[in-house]
Amino acid sequence: MVERGPWWTVAAAPLLLAALAALAVAADALLAARGAGRPVTLTAAARPFLALPRALVAGPRRLPAPDLLLWRAGVVTVPVAAVLSTLVIPFGNTVVADPSVGVVWFNAMEVTTWAALWLAGWGPNAAFSLIGGYRFLAQGLAYELPLMFALIAAATGAESLRVGDIAAAQQGLWYAVWMPVAFAAHLAGVLAFSFLGPFAHPAGRDAAGGVLGELSGPDRLLLQAGRWLWLASGAAMAVPLFLGGGAGPGLPAWAWSLVKTLLVLALLVVAARRLPVVRPDRYVELAWVVLVPLTILQVLVPALVVLGR
Amino acid sequence: MSATAAALSLLGLAALAVLGLHGAARALRVSADPLPVMPFGSGLEPAEHAVSRFHVRWYTVTMLFLAFDMEMVFMYPWTLVVSAMGPGAVIEMFVFLAILVAGVVYAWREGALRWT
Amino acid sequence: MDLTRRALRAAAARPRVLPAALPGGTPARLEAERLLRLRDWPVAATPAGADLLLVTGPDCPALHDPLARLWGDLPAPRARVHAATAAEVASALDTGRERLAAWSGRGSGAQGHAGGNDRVQEPPEGGGGHAHGQADDGDTGTGMPMPGGLPMAETGPDRDGLALDRLHLALGPFLCDWPTGLTVRLVLQGDVVQEAVCEDPAAPGGTPFWSGPWLRAAAGEPVTAGAAARHRAAATCDSLGRLLAVAGWPEQAVAARRLRDGLLAGAPAGALRGPADRLARRVGRSRVLAWLTRGIGRVDGGRTGGSAPAGPPGADGDATDRYRRWLDRLGRDVRHLDDPAPLDPYATESPRGPWEPAHPPSAALLALLPALLVGAELAAARLIVAGLDPDPEELAGAGVAPRG
Repeated sequence: MVERGPWWTVAAAPLLLAALAALAVAADALLAARGAGRPVTLTAAARPFLALPRALVAGPRRLPAPDLLLWRAGVVTVPVAAVLSTLVIPFGNTVVADPSVGVVWFNAMEVTTWAALWLAGWGPNAAFSLIGGYRFLAQGLAYELPLMFALIAAATGAESLRVGDIAAAQQGLWYAVWMPVAFAAHLAGVLAFSFLGPFAHPAGRDAAGGVLGELSGPDRLLLQAGRWLWLASGAAMAVPLFLGGGAGPGLPAWAWSLVKTLLVLALLVVAARRLPVVRPDRYVELAWVVLVPLTILQVLVPALVVLGR
Repeated sequence: MSATAAALSLLGLAALAVLGLHGAARALRVSADPLPVMPFGSGLEPAEHAVSRFHVRWYTVTMLFLAFDMEMVFMYPWTLVVSAMGPGAVIEMFVFLAILVAGVVYAWREGALRWT
Repeated sequence: MDLTRRALRAAAARPRVLPAALPGGTPARLEAERLLRLRDWPVAATPAGADLLLVTGPDCPALHDPLARLWGDLPAPRARVHAATAAEVASALDTGRERLAAWSGRGSGAQGHAGGNDRVQEPPEGGGGHAHGQADDGDTGTGMPMPGGLPMAETGPDRDGLALDRLHLALGPFLCDWPTGLTVRLVLQGDVVQEAVCEDPAAPGGTPFWSGPWLRAAAGEPVTAGAAARHRAAATCDSLGRLLAVAGWPEQAVAARRLRDGLLAGAPAGALRGPADRLARRVGRSRVLAWLTRGIGRVDGGRTGGSAPAGPPGADGDATDRYRRWLDRLGRDVRHLDDPAPLDPYATESPRGPWEPAHPPSAALLALLPALLVGAELAAARLIVAGLDPDPEELAGAGVAPRG
């Protein structure tokens, strides 16, 4: 049974999230090194973190008439919302808080990236950034509904919006097994709100970095970190929603949570490299004509199962 | 600690981390003098401000999205009462969804999901 | 201050490089891309994300102003190095790293006002009506306040007859994964291209690198078919690398560029066939990539009387057809790397199409661009250019105007 942790879990959750995100960055760096023919070493895994000292020494830039307040608000919101989403994600049998609307909380935090990335694109008063910000809105119209139906499928199966209840309701049979469509839609949604891999369109190189284009120094670091924090958060959330949470034989619950989260994270990091960018002008049609009806049918399955209980 | 207090503590910690990063950058940066720059234009100067009324050709999709987003407001509480309300709840919800999906199919046939 | 110095030294172990390739410097650009890949120095897309401006190729006075623009926009600490030839690239990179590690704010282009002397002072009047942006909020005499010295966007009719804001944006001369020396001026409504004008490419002089074997063979020098096949395969990989990077598939873009570097370094045919086949399998058979590029930049190569703009037979079809043809040709070329027969420059296609001295194939590809770009979204426009991949060097080498 998932229980609310002691006061220090408030500090532990963000630290754990940051550690998971750092692992994902390192794994991505190793895969990139292998692909580029460089030695796959610990040094190669650590090199992306040199962005930290670089961000700290950078001198500030001043663009003509930027919307500084909205720009910075957008950039900061991405990592901060990722940290806030950990409020409801159980680790083993411990969670910072287990409110009765945990699933809605996670959903709400994830939706803030819509506003955040649009603001990050609008703020610098630069054409490429603006295009990047609008790209995320179009992408959001495609990924958001399948993701919401995936969350609702899991909630319907447990007849609860409390994340702890959903994890506990999967005794013996994970939702990933009998709700595979919802699980897949959730994973695609995680890549989409992290705007990584096939959903990196808002920060695409074809638009000179899009929302990242005019960012330098600590602001650039925050937005980049926000992407990986969201990836880690989405992977961690998949475990209680679809993979039975901390349940498992032999090992303690926290160890099972960790193993499952790392596996989902690894899957996402590999998948992100395997696909080209899926532009919204193609993905919107697929999402609405195929994914939305499929995920709606997926919700019908747990609804009927619940009725039959 | 209540959920609200925990959420506020998390927000406070995250804000502290952001402020800490900016503070460290302020202490360590090589120059405090902002460099006057122009937005990137492949090496050329911009001709006007980029902030403008953006031609959003997918606006019809936003209408569809709005309909479904409203539906989600009903669906979250619905998940809690499925067995309590019985088959009626499921039938009503999925008839509602079917009507919305019929709208999607209509919009699709009208070409609203393709804008290029 | 000591902490700052330590952070500078640490960050200099992995400088982010903004490459600026000058026309006529293809070997230097290729060497730079190879070294950056092997050293794990990330390639930045914009000055804001870069520490080191790496200029490759022979000096080009026509591009001094855009280079100064890029350099002026790099935040401190920054360094600028120039490698005119491939042999100079490695030492230029080392110099850049040393300057970044020992950055003091003096000498290497200081932040703020001290750096003002290497900035573009005042753009020519009437050159697109660009106002200089560093002035304080001022008036232009019309009574309209101009925050940042820039006017607001003005409206123009769109295809549906609506009056919508229009932005002027140039692609090139310095844009990542973009043909060297090409500049396309766009008028955008949202991210949709309303007008597109190709400027005459900056003239590099000298022989174009990728069609070199064809030019040499036409001039009577002995060139083997195997050497030409190797060169053409490398050119195909270079084009594929650009297309895949623009399509947002860095993993395969790196694979294509690795193969290109292996081909140019003279790796034995046996060692190249595997990577070439793997690239053809992963990219050529990718249904996702085909779905994403289908219908983009459709050209009528003379086979059907469709509504698409007419172009050379080699450009027939859409972006998907074109990159699949590249992969097929790559597969054939890596099997003929040791062909000792002499090259017939008129019977064997050059990298960008059948070689004619007066009409280099890139001229026809460039002439296609404006008609194809209008109505495309920015992402599609980038895919169209990368999928045709004209080589502006060919035009300058042959002394032909782009729309001749």
